[in-house]
Amino acid sequence: MVGWAVQETTSFVSRFVEGLTAPKGVVDFLVLSFMLFAVGVLGVLSRRNVLIIFMSIELILNAANLNFIAFTRHWQAMGRISENMGHIFVIFIIVVAAAEAVIGLGILIALYRNRQTVAIDEINLLKW
Amino acid sequence: MELKGAQVLFYYALAFFVLIMAVSLIRARSAVHAALYLMGTLIGTAGLFLLLHAEFVAGAQILIYVGGVVVLFIFVIMLVNVREEITETTRLFTRQEAVAWVLVGAMTVATIIALRREANLLPPAVAPPEGTALALSEDTQRVGSALYTRAALPFEIASLLLLVAIVGSVILARTRRQEETFD
Repeated sequence: MVGWAVQETTSFVSRFVEGLTAPKGVVDFLVLSFMLFAVGVLGVLSRRNVLIIFMSIELILNAANLNFIAFTRHWQAMGRISENMGHIFVIFIIVVAAAEAVIGLGILIALYRNRQTVAIDEINLLKW
Repeated sequence: MELKGAQVLFYYALAFFVLIMAVSLIRARSAVHAALYLMGTLIGTAGLFLLLHAEFVAGAQILIYVGGVVVLFIFVIMLVNVREEITETTRLFTRQEAVAWVLVGAMTVATIIALRREANLLPPAVAPPEGTALALSEDTQRVGSALYTRAALPFEIASLLLLVAIVGSVILARTRRQEETFD
């Protein structure tokens, strides 16, 4: 019994170490990108401060950018595509994110001037 | 695409850095600290872009995000200046926090299922054909030529979007006194 447990544990550890040192492909970047996305979604849905919510939106957009870049690299290494349109998409996402941040923070300043708060559960004028 | 050797080490270092920074961001009490954590996340992501041979995008990320958007955030923090969250008793999270966790858990399960099913459909990476590797990366050149040929129209539309964003933010952020002065 003890021998079996030790054997199982060592095999698990060795497989784990093997996985750690294995070459990293597109799936590893997908997992990382998903974790970043999940943290961003958690921030957007649960924080009270509107500023932090905006920063979490930037996190989400960054996760999407990471996916684009990883897949471009993957398909290029496969030799399926030669041009890197994924990079172009990322540049446009960065542009749109900058525009979104500017407008959102402008709204935030106007809101703070009127209500003296940035906590979203105190901004309930449109709530029924 | 396969990262090998030292690249795996860089992947882990950058991935942990980015994730730690992201988690610290959504748990930060002070908005200025959150802005600095956001900066760390963005720089880490730029490092990952470099690892994926996207040099131009990494540079653009540093210039636009770290040099522009984060500075804008810090300016707005200065103008808004909410210090109530720094006291330990103030709630950081809304009452929907439990719902948010449930949603993120469901997303995680869905992603794990999708990856387990579909990851085999992704063809395995093969070594790139020999002789294509150059000492200097051609990435910037290719991004530039694509931006001015296939993506020329969206490029122009993006400039219009930025113009509208500038004017819109000025209109939104001006005070009543300024409105009366200039109308």
